[in-house]
Amino acid sequence: MAIQEARTETALDDPADPSRRRLLAGLLTAYTASLIPWALAQPAPQADRGAFAALSAILVGRPSLDAAQATRTYDALVTDDAHFPTDVQALLTLINQRHIDPLQLQATLDSEHSPLASLPRRIMSAWVLGVVGSSEGARCVAYESALNAVIVADVLKPPTYAYGSYGSWTAKPV
Amino acid sequence: MAALASADIVVIGAGIVGALVARRLAQQGASVLILEAGPRLDRGRIVAAFRHSPFKGNWMAPYPPSPWAPHPIYVPRDNGYLKQAGPYPYPAEYIRAVGGTTWHWAAQAWRLVPNDMRIKSLYGVGVDWPLSYEELDPWYQEAEEILGVAGADNTGSPRQKPFPMKPVAEPWAMHRVRERLAGVYPVVANTVARNSRGYDGRPACVGNNSCQPICPINAQYLGINAVEAAEAAGAKVIPNAVVYRIEHDVQGRIAAVHYYAPDKSEHRVTGKTFILAANGIESPKLLLLSASSKYPNGLANRSGAVGRHLMDHPSTSLTFYADEEIWLGRGPQSPSSINTLRDGAFRSQHAPYRLDFTNISQVLNVTNDLIKEGVYGAAFAKQLRWRAARQINVKNVLEVLPNPDNRITLSSEKDAMGIPKPEAHYAIDAYTRRGAEVSKADFARIAELMGGTGLRYSAEGSFANNQHITGTLSMGNDPATSVVDAFGRSHDHENLFVCGTGVMPTAATMNSTLTAVALALRTAEHILPAKQAVVANAAGDREAGLA
Amino acid sequence: MNAPLRYLVLLGLLVAVLAQAADNPDATLLRRGQYLATASDCVACHTSPGGKPYAGGLSIATPVGNIVSTNITPSKTAGIGHYTEAQFSDALRHGIRADGKHLYPAMPYTAYAQLTDADVQAMYAYFMHDVAPVDTAPAPTRLAFPFNVRLLMASWNWLFLDDQPFKPDPGKSAEWNRGAFLVRGPAHCSTCHTPRNLLMAEQSSRELAGGAVGTWFAPNITSDATSGIGNWGTQQLVDYLKSGHASGKGQAAGPMAEAVDNSLRHLTDADLQAIAAYLKTVPPRHDPADTRAVDRWGGPSAEPDVARTALPGDADTMSGAQVYDAYCASCHQARGEGSFDGGLPPLFHNTATGRTHTDNLVMVILDGIRWHTDDSGVHMPGFAHELSDRQIATLGNWLLQHYGNPAATVSVKQVRTLRTGGAAPHLVLLARLAMAAIVLLLIFAATWLMRRRKRHAAKTF
Repeated sequence: MAIQEARTETALDDPADPSRRRLLAGLLTAYTASLIPWALAQPAPQADRGAFAALSAILVGRPSLDAAQATRTYDALVTDDAHFPTDVQALLTLINQRHIDPLQLQATLDSEHSPLASLPRRIMSAWVLGVVGSSEGARCVAYESALNAVIVADVLKPPTYAYGSYGSWTAKPV
Repeated sequence: MAALASADIVVIGAGIVGALVARRLAQQGASVLILEAGPRLDRGRIVAAFRHSPFKGNWMAPYPPSPWAPHPIYVPRDNGYLKQAGPYPYPAEYIRAVGGTTWHWAAQAWRLVPNDMRIKSLYGVGVDWPLSYEELDPWYQEAEEILGVAGADNTGSPRQKPFPMKPVAEPWAMHRVRERLAGVYPVVANTVARNSRGYDGRPACVGNNSCQPICPINAQYLGINAVEAAEAAGAKVIPNAVVYRIEHDVQGRIAAVHYYAPDKSEHRVTGKTFILAANGIESPKLLLLSASSKYPNGLANRSGAVGRHLMDHPSTSLTFYADEEIWLGRGPQSPSSINTLRDGAFRSQHAPYRLDFTNISQVLNVTNDLIKEGVYGAAFAKQLRWRAARQINVKNVLEVLPNPDNRITLSSEKDAMGIPKPEAHYAIDAYTRRGAEVSKADFARIAELMGGTGLRYSAEGSFANNQHITGTLSMGNDPATSVVDAFGRSHDHENLFVCGTGVMPTAATMNSTLTAVALALRTAEHILPAKQAVVANAAGDREAGLA
Repeated sequence: MNAPLRYLVLLGLLVAVLAQAADNPDATLLRRGQYLATASDCVACHTSPGGKPYAGGLSIATPVGNIVSTNITPSKTAGIGHYTEAQFSDALRHGIRADGKHLYPAMPYTAYAQLTDADVQAMYAYFMHDVAPVDTAPAPTRLAFPFNVRLLMASWNWLFLDDQPFKPDPGKSAEWNRGAFLVRGPAHCSTCHTPRNLLMAEQSSRELAGGAVGTWFAPNITSDATSGIGNWGTQQLVDYLKSGHASGKGQAAGPMAEAVDNSLRHLTDADLQAIAAYLKTVPPRHDPADTRAVDRWGGPSAEPDVARTALPGDADTMSGAQVYDAYCASCHQARGEGSFDGGLPPLFHNTATGRTHTDNLVMVILDGIRWHTDDSGVHMPGFAHELSDRQIATLGNWLLQHYGNPAATVSVKQVRTLRTGGAAPHLVLLARLAMAAIVLLLIFAATWLMRRRKRHAAKTF
């Protein structure tokens, strides 16, 4: 059940780094640029990695993605599937051309039986769960820095990590 | 055949029950040998294995089975060790390793209520136990003091002496649930083998929220603590010893057990008294495997009851969003329950149940939901926080009646050591299903009191397994219908005892471990009475270097 | 009842009341005595593990051998029940037992010498009336020659003992004087924290500059801002003394945890403030190896998760990051940042990882931190059982590199030595060598004298 939410203001309000904008300009149209918060940690050195960074930023919707984590995640996804870079480019192009809202993206891909339908979930799983691959091929590439832990890090520690001294959990979470 | 080993007492299975029986007998001066099919484990490695696992929701991930002592695994796929004959699956999870399955329990350490042991006389269903609650009470107390059980007095089970520790500090989330349900449902603190203060050289809980699959800091009592205590008392543990046959003499006394080492070399161990404590599936399996010409149906099985009356505590549940932020995941995993539906005249009509509130962090579940729903973009973080802050789950823990057709048998398939795999035949009957149906009204009411939205009931007709493997070695007074007597002694073999959850003839509604331990301590006393009062020797364990 | 009889009864009652008062010292005196006994931490040494309070029996390892603490309960047969107040005072402040024999300064009478007569009176009353007598005597102390010659202590005392009670400094505040009295007297901080000379006497010119306590070392707590506690605020010092830790500073472990647990946390806030105020004025001693304040090293780890690969089968080949992840991170967190409430402390900005002398880091990994007198018990588990010497060395070096002073190191040999109780003390060996040398010298001298006499005798014939 998805809670309908108004789209939040984009990061166009943030001051944009001209060098990053130049780098990614080739990959994006005005539409996708409007979806990406611009505070990417570092410019990506290659077009493939750049496309991955851009698509990740769109899907995950986070203001910044750690460059080292992006590299590891990208490498793991490519190892898992050699077609990955091509698919990423294709999906980014698709989003550009058709101005697909991230919240509508999966439904769109599914209804059209797109060959790219599994891609968003794979990227999301890698970033927010820290898991790449599935079934016997699944492996963990991140845990504490998986984004689902980061997003709630002010309130919760990931399981196995202590919350605090005995009884500290009785207080209302701030 | 390799070198002989021998001891007064031979225990099969180094789980919490086998180890505590061994400890008590070793303290009385007996020589005790514990044979464990699986390996020794290291807590730090288990913690690391959990964090490495791509299947964080699978609590068996940090416990890969050993090739020589497999246990059931279902994720990413069923390893086919526990065969399912149906009609309903019995997907039990257990750990064959030194320390046993309580490496990953939530430490719920409940007593029964007195009526649980007399449901035949009182309600006309199930069977009566061959002993009373009053007889078990002092053993419950001893078990609670060994484990270090923290509890409140208002949980429904009578007691003579206080708990060793006050209840574990209540998480904010449970505090709110308790407040909002007050007057309609009394929410009580779970009695748990979890430290609310330093106890027996182990620290108090610091809220790692990973009780299952592993407590990283030893704040909850695990089977491994029992094993260490047994070893400190003088018991010897042989790991990686897969017992495959129990040998009897011409009179039917147990003479020896045979085990494989991982290289399949055969070893024979003799003793005077034998205690089978290998869990409610592996123990009956071993008895059936040990069939001989004198005992064609397996050992201890003149009644034909070995492996039968398989029970568990099935669960159905409701998940919903509360109308306030409560943030499950802060503190221990299983803090609170509603216990007032465990007993009553209705038990003649439908199963009783406990209602269990989880405090397991909802972040993983919510993340999986959001990915499945295709929630991408800035909405992801917003929804993750919104849902993780509000999502609550309440489940029932239902009683299953003993049914001889629900049973563990030997499969025709063999494992890597050439030993037949166990096979589960199981069904959930109308008595239990009616209980589940009735509990839906409670679920709905609870959601209402919490201002719940987004109600999601577990799938109709689908029950989760709770790994409380009971009934397969039922105790009773009548040798024609039970496997062991009220002290766990086999009706058929004078020097064979059985300990574990398998001896419980009915399941009631409460997690079975404490009852199994209490019964086992009573068995140990019966085998070798204490010369002076033996209470939980916490000070002794400390001096023995466990602190 | 007639008048004279009434008078006699009243007199009798009065005498009885007075006699009662003499037998039962007033509650204030007893409380004061108990407070001083707590501040002096008598119970820590005079109680064996699991034993009755003050019944003695704790074997204390010292460089001269094991010294067993005595029973100081008021038992008449096994304790000090027969001591007069003067004998109690002599033992406490001069190191002389009731039978005239000397005590070893393992009993810190050199510090307790600061106690005033009024203090002694209160403590005597407490020990005689409020401590339960225990009639079991512990094993006597047996040291190797020459240290079993207690009379030697007389010379030692003559050389080193300042046996005058505390005299307040009129130029300083009442709070400073109180702090000075507590630190130099009952709390006997210098017994551990002041370095000692070859004859095991404290070097008073280097007050509180650091000293060894078995396998632990008591660090520099002078007012030096880099090597000592000079950059600690008064409240941080008070927090540390009261709770055993101060955020962003450090935690009490080993013998200091025991001191906090048994003694310091029971002192009044005013007394703790006084101790802090005094400590801030102790002359600074700087260790040139400390290039930065010992609590200012490190920061949260900037690295992403430890690579999520399977652990090696051979535990000794685990990397520092892997050992940390498996055994430490659950409490100290993935980036070393500690729990939300700081109760499970961060490992950076922590004296535990900031010192160049790393014995305490190894010891706390081996032994953990354990309190006995309150409900919390295990504050940190010890890992002696789980981790090998190599794993602890690997972990220690990784912690120092990532969260602490990267110039400090831990060696496998160091871990092994500390685990087994520390380096063998040299003092006994040195003393024996010295004696052997003297005996040889005497034999040589005697031989030479005899030869000379023979030659002389031969010559005279």
